[in-house]
Amino acid sequence: MAYQETADAHHEPHHVHYKLIFFALCVCTVISVALDIIPLNRRLVAFAVLAVAVAKAQYVMRYFMHLKFEGAWKYVLLLPTAILAVGLPLALAPDIGLHYYTPDVPQVRAAAQAEASHAEGTHDAGEAESHGGEAH
Amino acid sequence: MGLPISNSKLGMWLFLGTEIMFFTAFIGTYIVLYFGSPGWPTDTHVTHINVFAGATNTFVLILSSYMVVVAHEAMAQRKFDKAYKALTLTFALACLFLGIKAYEYYGKFEYNILPGRIAETDSQAIDMAVKEVDASVNSWLNQLVPGDSRADRIHVKRAAARGYQSAESDLAAVDSQLTEVKTQAAAASGAQRTALRDRQTELERQQSLYSALIANKAELANWVALDDAATKFRDDVSANRLTMAQTADRLKELQANAAFAPHLAGVHLPHPIPYGNLFASMYFLMTGFHAVHVIVGMILFAFVLTQGSRLNEKWTDWVENSGLYWHFVDLVWIFLFPLLYIIPGFDRGTPGH
Repeated sequence: MAYQETADAHHEPHHVHYKLIFFALCVCTVISVALDIIPLNRRLVAFAVLAVAVAKAQYVMRYFMHLKFEGAWKYVLLLPTAILAVGLPLALAPDIGLHYYTPDVPQVRAAAQAEASHAEGTHDAGEAESHGGEAH
Repeated sequence: MGLPISNSKLGMWLFLGTEIMFFTAFIGTYIVLYFGSPGWPTDTHVTHINVFAGATNTFVLILSSYMVVVAHEAMAQRKFDKAYKALTLTFALACLFLGIKAYEYYGKFEYNILPGRIAETDSQAIDMAVKEVDASVNSWLNQLVPGDSRADRIHVKRAAARGYQSAESDLAAVDSQLTEVKTQAAAASGAQRTALRDRQTELERQQSLYSALIANKAELANWVALDDAATKFRDDVSANRLTMAQTADRLKELQANAAFAPHLAGVHLPHPIPYGNLFASMYFLMTGFHAVHVIVGMILFAFVLTQGSRLNEKWTDWVENSGLYWHFVDLVWIFLFPLLYIIPGFDRGTPGH
């Protein structure tokens, strides 16, 4: 049987203060920027801004996308994709993101060389004119 | 019995399920590569990431998402004028988002923060400087000598330019040959005449070449000097004889020469950015696909906006579903903003930071 539109299908059964949600999202954005500007431990900042992003995401999903007021079908539809989506980085992480060895690549060799010459006080990177802005 | 939602809404949610997979594949890959690459570029002076541009765009998208909710609510209440205004504002905000994004992309292009264009080690930086000097030498050559300027034919011009000193006698020889060929062609017929005409065209080409060489004689002397210096520079680099500092000195020396300076103005010795190419690839992949989604959303809203005052309740589902899509686009940006604009400042004690 096809879906029959009920009388209140397009009317809000639950009144939401969308302005309040919008305000909360703006505040969250300001907090993210503040966390970037204030000199804090960067690990803490990384954790905090992601927490803020999750808070913003749940506001958008629950209220703007009305998931809060939808039936149980939302779990059937979204949980498998959410689980698989988290599974991808977790599956890749051990091999690429968390290797126990130092990767033998030109970038790492160059960095080690630069560190060694810097330690000897002969590093002269300041001579190089940076393409990407200030040489550092 | 089906689900208590319309088919179109179910379809949109299923599509959004695939979209979640699509974007988390990129985001997940970015996170994994970020942690797996010691020395990933984090300095905003190097990456040209502008946190305020990102934050402004976050605000723009949040406001547009709010406007979509207002439009959907107005549609449900049959306030089509209000819905139309809210969607117009959403469309304008989407344009603003793309404008700010374009400004950011312009910065990346200006500083060559592009996939495959970034030197990641000293030797790559030196190679890039050599290539830039060679490109400047060739570009100057193309200004001085007429003819085929394709890269694989440049050696022909180069040989001609290096023989500029004999251009006068070469021109005299060509002139006399040309007179002779013209006389013969006037008297000839059939295939012989065609062959002579071809020869005439070739001699005329040589004539204009030697005339250009004579006209640019003084500049060509400078070009040959630069070409010699560039060849020596290239040879020294090939023989691995130059460090970054020495390369920088050599470039400064060349650029200090008043005759060469205008032609070498754009030549830089880039500062190496380890993993810069991977960073640029990920940045453009994620923000680029997001921008494509913004454009698709704008097209969805444009259909509604073309209705003008004819907008009616038949479009309610359309507005709701394209609204869901738009909130998803906002949702992706909510995660891209901290991941691309804020967390890369994360200090992992890498060299140079």
